[in-house]
Amino acid sequence: MFEPTPQVDLSSGKYLKLWQGPQHPGITGNMALELTTMGDEIVDCKTHVGYLHRGFEKLMERRTFIQNFPIVCRIAVPEPTFNEYLYAAVVEELTGIESPERAEWIRTLNLELMRLASYLMWLGGIGAAFGQGTVYQWTVTHRDYILDLFEEMTGARVYHMYIVPGGVRGRLPEGFEERCNDVLNRVEKLLFDVEKVLFNNFVFKKRTKGLGVIAPEMVDQYGITGPNQRAAGFVRDLRRDAPYLVYDQLEFDVITATESDAYARSWVRYQEMHQGIRMLRQCLERTPREGPFQARMPNVLHWEVPAGETYVKAECTRGEYGYYMVTDGSEYVRRVHVRGPSYTHAIALMEKLAVGTNIADTAGLMVSLHTYPPEIER
Amino acid sequence: MSLKDLISPFYVWQRAFEKPYTQKRPIEDRPGAPRYRGFHMNSEDCIGCGTCESICQNRAIDMVPVEGLEQRPGDSGLRPRFDYGRCCWCALCVDICTTRSLHLSNHYAWVTEDPDAFHFTAGTDPMPWNENSLGYRRDDDYHLLVHDRIEMEMLGPDESVRGFDEVMKGYTEEQAVLEADRCVECGICVATCPAHMSVPDYIRSVRKRDYETGLRLLYETNPFSSTCGRICTHRCETVCVMGYQGDPIAIRFLKRAIVDRVPAERYREILGDDVSDNGRTVGVIGAGPGGMSAAYYLRRLGYGVTVYEAQARAGGMLRYGVPSYRLPDDQLDKDIDYIRSLGVEVRFNTLVGRDVTFQSLLDTHDAVFLAVGLNQPSALRINGEEHPRVLSGLKVLDDVANGLDPGIGRKVAVIGGGNVAMDAARVSRRMGAEVTVLYRRRIEDMPADPDEIHESQAEGCTLVAQAIPVEIKPAASEAQVTIVWGEAEMVADDKGGRPRPVLQEDRMHEETYDCVIAAIGQGGQIDFIPSDYREQIEFKWNKFVPGDYQQTGLAKLFVGGDIANSRADAISAIEDGHHAARGIHRFLGGSADA
Amino acid sequence: MSTATDLLERFGTNYRISEVNEQKADLTFFKVPKDQAVRLLRELRDDAGYTHLAFLTNIDYIERGIFTLNYMLHNYDTRHTLGMHVDLDRDNAEMESIHNMWAQAATYQRELREMYGIRFPGSPRLDDDFCLEGWDQIPPMRKEFDTAAFSLARFYSRDGRGTEDPREHMKQQLYPTHTDDAPEGGN
Repeated sequence: MFEPTPQVDLSSGKYLKLWQGPQHPGITGNMALELTTMGDEIVDCKTHVGYLHRGFEKLMERRTFIQNFPIVCRIAVPEPTFNEYLYAAVVEELTGIESPERAEWIRTLNLELMRLASYLMWLGGIGAAFGQGTVYQWTVTHRDYILDLFEEMTGARVYHMYIVPGGVRGRLPEGFEERCNDVLNRVEKLLFDVEKVLFNNFVFKKRTKGLGVIAPEMVDQYGITGPNQRAAGFVRDLRRDAPYLVYDQLEFDVITATESDAYARSWVRYQEMHQGIRMLRQCLERTPREGPFQARMPNVLHWEVPAGETYVKAECTRGEYGYYMVTDGSEYVRRVHVRGPSYTHAIALMEKLAVGTNIADTAGLMVSLHTYPPEIER
Repeated sequence: MSLKDLISPFYVWQRAFEKPYTQKRPIEDRPGAPRYRGFHMNSEDCIGCGTCESICQNRAIDMVPVEGLEQRPGDSGLRPRFDYGRCCWCALCVDICTTRSLHLSNHYAWVTEDPDAFHFTAGTDPMPWNENSLGYRRDDDYHLLVHDRIEMEMLGPDESVRGFDEVMKGYTEEQAVLEADRCVECGICVATCPAHMSVPDYIRSVRKRDYETGLRLLYETNPFSSTCGRICTHRCETVCVMGYQGDPIAIRFLKRAIVDRVPAERYREILGDDVSDNGRTVGVIGAGPGGMSAAYYLRRLGYGVTVYEAQARAGGMLRYGVPSYRLPDDQLDKDIDYIRSLGVEVRFNTLVGRDVTFQSLLDTHDAVFLAVGLNQPSALRINGEEHPRVLSGLKVLDDVANGLDPGIGRKVAVIGGGNVAMDAARVSRRMGAEVTVLYRRRIEDMPADPDEIHESQAEGCTLVAQAIPVEIKPAASEAQVTIVWGEAEMVADDKGGRPRPVLQEDRMHEETYDCVIAAIGQGGQIDFIPSDYREQIEFKWNKFVPGDYQQTGLAKLFVGGDIANSRADAISAIEDGHHAARGIHRFLGGSADA
Repeated sequence: MSTATDLLERFGTNYRISEVNEQKADLTFFKVPKDQAVRLLRELRDDAGYTHLAFLTNIDYIERGIFTLNYMLHNYDTRHTLGMHVDLDRDNAEMESIHNMWAQAATYQRELREMYGIRFPGSPRLDDDFCLEGWDQIPPMRKEFDTAAFSLARFYSRDGRGTEDPREHMKQQLYPTHTDDAPEGGN
């Protein structure tokens, strides 16, 4: 529920107005928290966004359907692949194109690799936010090994532009499975270390347990999804509840917790990384080596998508990521709306949870919600 | 807090004894992955179609002329210039490249003090990565364009050989839209089309199912669209960019797809019939495609037009030279009737020089356009060719078109490799004859349309290549004739011309046929022009050599069609007529906007 | 029984539901008049299990003079999603606020206010800048806002740019007089 901001009299000398950001206030991208503090306790928090607004939804309205494919990845910097997949899926649904099985496997492999890379970056962030800079260096190094894999698979490290409506843009490179397995082994070893250093660390425990507790009844009131929701005890995961791609053929567990604090959320993500490695190994083993990886497409230069509307969603690292598209039968899209989980996690939820915490914990609290401003602003 | 939590972090000290992740020295050169999307490269296969520019969502590509690079049919002479201030390295330009000339190298680091250096023409500007062999290439199994042509339904050879029904059935609407959808609308073909038709625009109108716009576009440059939609030599398709990786667009048949969907009675409403009269008249000699095209555009400009035609029906070689299984009479009539409906007068059975004099035309009209075509069969120039069982291809086709029996018999030899030879052969098959075609060069040298060659073979004509006729001899029966021919070897030409067939005198053959049909070419006949006029006109190889706008040295006389160009096909004659109409309009004081 | 027919049966008597479109097994769109929308939203949330507001957005139909709001609701038990459309007058776009029903709704409404100019009376911080600071143009997501014209007017273009159309270029080079717009004096 929306709760009105308490009236604070700044002239009373009891309060201090403090801006955290717009330089990355955690490792989460440019946004600003306008904090009102009493001592080091936060009495009010307002989130300010707009520093990364590039107007993608508007840009897409004046580009053809193929021309939108290279720009969607830029909507969420650390997770371009989810945008690529969802854009492809929404266009495929409206045009009736079916991507071939081999492409579906390669896409799943991509998405899970992306999730792992994104979680590694987040893991560094949560470590750094609580003074564990070493963890950040380890995890970002390992993320780079995954970016190497993306580079050889897609031709780019960050903006892959690989999942295209109709399938994927190329086959897996020769010997990819071996190199990917090698990286997975290394990441697994790293996770083992991180568990020892971070999750067993009493400083980390002391600071994160009880921080930013999300009560179960808040989950739907605030539209909370993903690990933030699962850490509050909800067994909800789109990969299981509304399986897309080949998730119905993969074995994995939906990780949940009950404490619903920063530690529980971090632990859920940490466990999901293990599940991700498990799924990736299945993908590497089962991705077909033969067969088409792109559906028969019309000439994309003047591709008219039939009039219609739909909403396609996927479980990204942070929760429900979705593309809502309305078409009118022309070569241009009428409307695209990109639903990113941070839209509520970083604004309504953050503004609520920050109150009562202290200044030193805000960065950690925000990282524990795993927020990305670019998907708020689009 | 448990003791475990306190000591747990110290566990990782053991990693101090392992090989560190970090490298010992700075990385000097770390090449991009083999499919890395780095800087652009362009090979000499590029033809400047600009499809990369069309797909670029960042408008990072300009098509610019390159010094020292000449445009020619099929190559615009332009090359893509990249602005790295805008490029996002998505490589859609590589994916869409019609000739696969565009690639990305795996080179990704480049430092220079000159910001304008990041604005360069790939492939022609000297860039450090131009020799790179790695980098992003389009995967063979990934396509953003449709490479296979939509096949058109046609009569099978068993069926087609039994009569004169049209062989090609035309596209259904759905097929036409799918075929039109393949077009990238680059417009490279427009320069190659002799009439410079608005090919991309009318193909778009097929895709949009807007046949009225399509028809208007066709008539801007070609009043024989129903005809050309069937029998055009489609030079455009030889340069179509889609032909580099697959089949060229069926441009000819898409033209037909428009006219097939507009009934003749709607032409005047769609094209408009507001023709005025400007009080001046033009005489046109010959009601073939050239003459009627000139008549159409002149009439649109308000001229009174009289066409003098020796035959009883209009159409010229289209009527009397092209068999009806390729071009049904009613389709030719559809084009001609519309032109006549605008008020073009055609005087049939009027041979200039016999029924009217050339001088009288010059006297009565403000200008004269001459397009009499080539209707004199060329001689074989071998002994015995005056034998009564040696027929000309043109005569056979003419008889068939007029419903007469050409009397070819049951066993026929056709000499020649052009379209007339193919037509004569296929007509003979339809009349039940066994047909052998003798051609002096190789099959790939045949000037006939490849479709014609394939279909004639499918219909059971035997093609004998590298066969040189040497002599015609009387046969035992008067109703037959014997031909002596020798095998030929192809010999490279020292002067760099195409290989020459050389007769092998030790490999001679003799065969008797019911008739021999000679179809090795045609010449023109212009004796009706008085000689003092002829002296003012430039000729070469018995053909007119017109100046600008088809004008001759005799200022009032404009010429066009087979007798005035080297291409000798319908579409060139149509353009000659259109161009002469522009010229006549200028000559008579109008503007060039015809 | 499909969810769409179920929906019609259950709410059809009390609400003027129209344009029901069952896009796929777990997604149905429908339209409801503006004056009934929030009442229906509350009923869907409290009595029909559609507890999750995935997002709220707007579609501009400039040629019909309307905005269409889309409230995307999800039922976690049936795993079914509903897209509820509400048409607004484009020239006077105003809608009842739902900030009291979902916490994140205020943010969506603030965004719609900024990007389309839709008013939601009572919605907190509605007129505060959301993404745009110091914006002095019309709300930019409205179809009549031309982004290309805006950037051409606002930013410098790079020198040395300029492109040729292959077809036009070949015409000028290869057959300048063979066109109806031939230059004068070619004879």
